[in-house]
Amino acid sequence: MLLLSNSLTGCDLMFLAWNEIKKNKLRFTLIMGVLMLVSYLVFFLSGLATGLASLNREAVDKWDATAIVLTEESDKSLPQSSLTNEEVDAFKDNETAILGQLNAIATNGDAKQNISLFGIDPEEFIMPDVTEGEKFAGINEVIASDTLKEDGFELGDELELSSTEEKLTIVGFTDSARFNAAPVLYGELATFQKVKFGEGVAEDETQINGIVIRGDDLSSITTSNEDLEVIEVETFIENLPGYTEQALTLNFMIYFLFAISSVIVAIFLYVLTVQKISMFGVMKAQGISNGYLSRSVIAQTFLLAFIGVVVGFALTLISGAFLPAAVPVSFDIPTMIIYGVILIIVAILGAVFSVLTIVKIDPLKAIGG
Amino acid sequence: MAILELNNVKKSFGTGHKQVDALKETNFSAEAGELIAVIGPSGSGKSTFLTIAGGLQTPTSGGILVNNQDLADLNEKQRSKIRLKEIGFILQASNLIPFLNVDNQMKLLDNVKKDNMTKDELNALYENLGIKDLRKKYPADLSGGERQRVAIAKALYSKPSILLADEPTASLDSEKAYEVMELLKKETKQNKTTTIVVTHDTRLIEYCDKVYEMTDGVLELKEKPSKN
Repeated sequence: MLLLSNSLTGCDLMFLAWNEIKKNKLRFTLIMGVLMLVSYLVFFLSGLATGLASLNREAVDKWDATAIVLTEESDKSLPQSSLTNEEVDAFKDNETAILGQLNAIATNGDAKQNISLFGIDPEEFIMPDVTEGEKFAGINEVIASDTLKEDGFELGDELELSSTEEKLTIVGFTDSARFNAAPVLYGELATFQKVKFGEGVAEDETQINGIVIRGDDLSSITTSNEDLEVIEVETFIENLPGYTEQALTLNFMIYFLFAISSVIVAIFLYVLTVQKISMFGVMKAQGISNGYLSRSVIAQTFLLAFIGVVVGFALTLISGAFLPAAVPVSFDIPTMIIYGVILIIVAILGAVFSVLTIVKIDPLKAIGG
Repeated sequence: MAILELNNVKKSFGTGHKQVDALKETNFSAEAGELIAVIGPSGSGKSTFLTIAGGLQTPTSGGILVNNQDLADLNEKQRSKIRLKEIGFILQASNLIPFLNVDNQMKLLDNVKKDNMTKDELNALYENLGIKDLRKKYPADLSGGERQRVAIAKALYSKPSILLADEPTASLDSEKAYEVMELLKKETKQNKTTTIVVTHDTRLIEYCDKVYEMTDGVLELKEKPSKN
């Protein structure tokens, strides 16, 4: 900030930077190209991270819930948790929704897909909005994630599930309904019970996997039952199998790319600066200050990084539009803008080496005195 | 009134028995409108004299007054400001920025200093130097002579009170060298600039008002030979 705080206008600062870029188009296009490719990769990885995260969590996000109650022994795993309906009463001060969940393979005869079956009460808040078709009205009717349409499933399809004789019928589709990378089928709790336990299970023997709770804040949701655990929704998501490991891997790649782009810019600009030592020396001999020359280098870096990032951003969105639906990419524009700004900042940090070199240039030596 | 004064200035490198006196105790004074030549063989200390006079290096002892301001009292940042405001340099290899055209060479100075020549003054300078058709050309597109004339224009554009030229004709043939000296003389008289030309080419001294000779770090005023 200190470097920018004087009476020079942006136009003055860009004067040397822009004229040099204009005169050496190939050289600077190459630098911009490298920055563009790095930003393209960062944006794409960020899209992949967001897409893969959505694949795991979008159904949970849609609940807009505060917490989920699971059994202590389940270790925060929904399929491993088993509660009775009566245990919901302990949380009646909050808005609650019961949830039964199981994983299965569903087939309509042609297509086959891993699914997650959610047994819910249609009167409670986790009941999804139907985007096509209608709500389930009876046992064995389900609302399916609309991603199943891309796999060849349609309204009216009769689904056979693995490990059960029960058949489910798709009566509607809903959006944003994937859980732990599997499309969700929403059905009545009775449907879930029939699939899980078979015919003839007594009403008082029914089990659910969890209680989803929407409250003012986490601290207001408590239980005296030591066998139960109140888990914040974000913690629940982080404990989904593979979720955290996957997010960390992709985020680490993005953070390394930030560091790499800074080093690339530093090397490029340093080499350019070393080539121009005598020119900077002449300018310093003429009385042009270190501040002006440093600001010019920073302005030039900003310009190169800005153009590179904007082109990388546009290319990412364009190529994203042509990707097959099977690629789990989802571009979150605010996150991409933040990453773009970070890329510009780390590029400018890379220019600091060049600035230090300029400050150290002795005009006398540079002009051969 | 003296524009540039060197009082008992000495410059030594090294210490003890390895000490070399590049410039022995020197006194020098130059007034406005004077064109002064400093001649001498390579390694005699001419460039040391010029760079000390221009505030590019500090003397081991002594004082340098530029318009009565002692450079010895100033830090590098302050000396840099004095160079920008008061001193124009013309260097052996022209001091042009390779990616700026002739007009932009001047515009660069407008970015760092405000009281430069007006547009009309610049046009007149271009006319005088015979470079008005070169304003959109880049240094690489210019001949050696043209580059040196543009370098002179650039040095004069900031209206310096002192013009220091280090072998300004070194890369030029005789005809162009005389042309450049003629131009320097004209600009010196017209703008009342104090111009010091360091050269080993004794043919150029006829254009100068005073001639100094530098021998082994000792600067001596010489009697200027007559034109005949």
